[in-house]
Amino acid sequence: MTVNGNKVSHEAEDRTLLVEFLRDTLGLTGTHVGCDTSQCGCCTVHVDGRAVKSCTMLVGQANGAQVRTIEGMAEGERLHPVQQAFTECHALQCGFCTPGMIMAVAGLLQDNPSPSDEDIIHGLEGNLCRCTGYINIVKAVKQASKTIGGA
Amino acid sequence: MAAAFKGRREDRRLVSGGGRYTADWNLPGQLHAAFLRSDRPHARIVAIDAQAALAAPGVVAVLTGEDTLAEGIRNAPPMLPYPGRGGQPIKLPPRSVLATGRVSHIGQEVAMVVATTALAAADAVERISIEYSDLPAVIDAEAALAPGAPLAHPEVPGNVCFDFDYGDEARVKEIFAGAARITRVKLDSQRICGVPMEPKACLASYDAQQGVYDFWSSTQGITMMRGSVAGYGIAPDKVRPRAQDVGGGFGIRSGAYPEYIAVMIAAKKTGRPVKWVGSRSETFVSDHHGRAIRLSGELAMDEDGHFLAARYEWVCNQGAFPSGPGPLINTVTPKLTPNGVYRIPAVYGRNRLVLTNTTPITAYRGAGRPDAAYLLERLVEEAARESGIDRVELRRRNLIPKDAFPYTTPTQSAYDSGDYEALLDEVLARSDWEGFEARRAEARARGRLRGIGCAVFLEPAGGAGPKDQAMLKFGSSGEMTLYSVTGPSGQGHETVFPEVVGRELGVPPELITLRASDPDGPPLDGFGTVGSRSMGAHGGAALLAAREVVRKGLELAAKELEVAAQDLEFAGGRFRVKGTDRSLALVELARRHAGKGAVHPLDATADNAAGATFPSGAHVAEVEIDPRTGAVEVARYTGVDDCGVVVNHTLVEGQVQGGIVQGAGQVLGEHCVFDEGGQLLTGSFMDYAMPHAGLIGELRLYDHPVPSPRNPLGVKGVGESGTTGSLPTLMNAILDALRPAGVRQLDMPATPARVWAALRAAAGARQPPRG
Repeated sequence: MTVNGNKVSHEAEDRTLLVEFLRDTLGLTGTHVGCDTSQCGCCTVHVDGRAVKSCTMLVGQANGAQVRTIEGMAEGERLHPVQQAFTECHALQCGFCTPGMIMAVAGLLQDNPSPSDEDIIHGLEGNLCRCTGYINIVKAVKQASKTIGGA
Repeated sequence: MAAAFKGRREDRRLVSGGGRYTADWNLPGQLHAAFLRSDRPHARIVAIDAQAALAAPGVVAVLTGEDTLAEGIRNAPPMLPYPGRGGQPIKLPPRSVLATGRVSHIGQEVAMVVATTALAAADAVERISIEYSDLPAVIDAEAALAPGAPLAHPEVPGNVCFDFDYGDEARVKEIFAGAARITRVKLDSQRICGVPMEPKACLASYDAQQGVYDFWSSTQGITMMRGSVAGYGIAPDKVRPRAQDVGGGFGIRSGAYPEYIAVMIAAKKTGRPVKWVGSRSETFVSDHHGRAIRLSGELAMDEDGHFLAARYEWVCNQGAFPSGPGPLINTVTPKLTPNGVYRIPAVYGRNRLVLTNTTPITAYRGAGRPDAAYLLERLVEEAARESGIDRVELRRRNLIPKDAFPYTTPTQSAYDSGDYEALLDEVLARSDWEGFEARRAEARARGRLRGIGCAVFLEPAGGAGPKDQAMLKFGSSGEMTLYSVTGPSGQGHETVFPEVVGRELGVPPELITLRASDPDGPPLDGFGTVGSRSMGAHGGAALLAAREVVRKGLELAAKELEVAAQDLEFAGGRFRVKGTDRSLALVELARRHAGKGAVHPLDATADNAAGATFPSGAHVAEVEIDPRTGAVEVARYTGVDDCGVVVNHTLVEGQVQGGIVQGAGQVLGEHCVFDEGGQLLTGSFMDYAMPHAGLIGELRLYDHPVPSPRNPLGVKGVGESGTTGSLPTLMNAILDALRPAGVRQLDMPATPARVWAALRAAAGARQPPRG
């Protein structure tokens, strides 16, 4: 598969999840594991351009896929607009849910560049945060939507 | 004034995947651990057979409770500096790191497998065979008090491990006997799971030559972790606790969990680093839980609605073992603030701490304060309804006036500062309290029940510990490292502590780097990040260290400028000869003296003895209920908070937002449930109702600072006050919405099912069936 633009090839045990492969084999520890029931969204990455919870896929299912993780979002020093918005809106505290949030929001804005409040809340349904109360996360989504729309 | 918020120093790495949480650390040659946990609430362990597990592929070792006892690991005692009622000490049942003799709750650690991979360890756990002989279990705290109830531990007859009281029982009894009005409530502050987003994990290595462990875990501070480990019998100087990023604390990470000690022992026994990453399921059942208190209260008033006395009773479920902070946080808070923001001349309270066959209880955001505020503000609300006195007017009539500070409570606790009536006035104006009835009527026309509720509250914050230290060390080009034993988990200390120092020294905060709880840093005294104390205690110490730098700098600059120190003044980062334009920048002074020895002459350590502060707030919530479904929607929430001097508005607001929504989680859905057989029914995110985006849509917050005289910065605690306020505020609003439909009583969580059932029951009671 291709991960953040780099071709990678490894043998993996059949039962290995995509998230385990990213973290343990490739050392991309920005993708986090926050639950074991596919509900927290901390492990969200993009597979072939779609936001996917990487705990819901066996690594074999991603064979040959284009995978993008949080480590591949910035272009050099320049943060992705969603990363930038999360930073400026104080949309993160402990930061554990943040990579998954950012990947989910980037996916949401790709599908729906100008989401309503309701769309945002619905779009964040699969990502849990314990610190922020989501107030500033919703704010960051709106700001990123404007930045991306205006770019 | 503060510049516009551009993001925290922490954020660059955290938004880029560069954070390093416990599970992100690895050591060469590390082994992996997995735990076998009790699948029953109370049983005698007849036999453990680990032979098949030991023979499984990749398995290096299997540890049981006997192995931990052989290592000299002992029962970690709770922090409890005082005895209970009648001078009685707390009764502690035996607890080992891995169970010995019997298991006392579902999820208790029984055995640990260490193997070459995490999967091999998990597979081998399945091969351990345990023969149990079940014992009767007790789950509910009030049931545990009943005569003849099963005993959670035979060592604790009656299941009460600590009986505590405060106040003047006889006087309160006398006042109640003659009072014109008495209001009573009984409430449930239900069991909550802390649920930091980072599941529990740890990594240990052991240096046999030095006898020292390096230990990575999610911690709320180095000295707390060392103190907690010492409780198990491992000397604090033999552990180097390590953490870079901590994925949430909320109180439940203030101490060392049994798994941590087992992993340390395994690293010592195998001679290799050992890593354990818990699953969310394990975290749900074994992270210590919060709240779990039955709250009863009585308030006595005269005819005019003046409060005369209050009496409280708390029955606190402590789970199977008293945790480190559990007994303290379930007794100290109600004693420190028994009258909340009101003048109540006499109080008496009794708190019984009860052992049951459930997961232990520890501090969880608020740690007794939301419970105290909830009880008192529900009492005041009901007293207003019963007396017919307007609920705002009743509060106003009894608030402690702003000229009464320092105010001493009937239990001899001294509030620092506050202006409660101003908070109340401001929140009423900001929330358009007066205009509410029109909104209620408009909602009624849409078939919705709209309600409004308020709470005026305070909480004790900070204090704890004689002093906290901070050290500023200079580098080669004027940059500084700030050492502190604070244990941040998202509060933004890396950003705001350098801001405190930078402002005092007149230098950009970027020149200062915080190293929090660094085991390789200088040894510093202090307590960790708990009890909303960090800014007052550690931030205050950082400020004093900066002042010490200035003091030393004056001496040093005087020599450089060839004047007497008293002829110099320090402002804007420069030492200036008074009345002249001759000056020397601090940074330049620091550069000139760098590299002349191990200690820079400007290096400074400061001690800060910060006292307890009492942040307060007045909050108003409006809710709408759909009577067809029972669903509660928070329409708007307004908070006016006195957190003392605000050092960084954005970070303070973030703390209050998070705190309010965390409280809203408890009010609207979160509930950690054990069934009668002691099984955890809410063991995953499928069953545990975590707050999602949109739980509170419109949240408006306003600072109303009244400086605290108890620390050099004038700050008050802020980490928990939002949670303290939102429990009573939201429940008062929900009951206000339900009252016209005849509902008088509802316990948290106000789930659609509960609200719907309450509405149905009230309708049934009002309209008896025909025929």
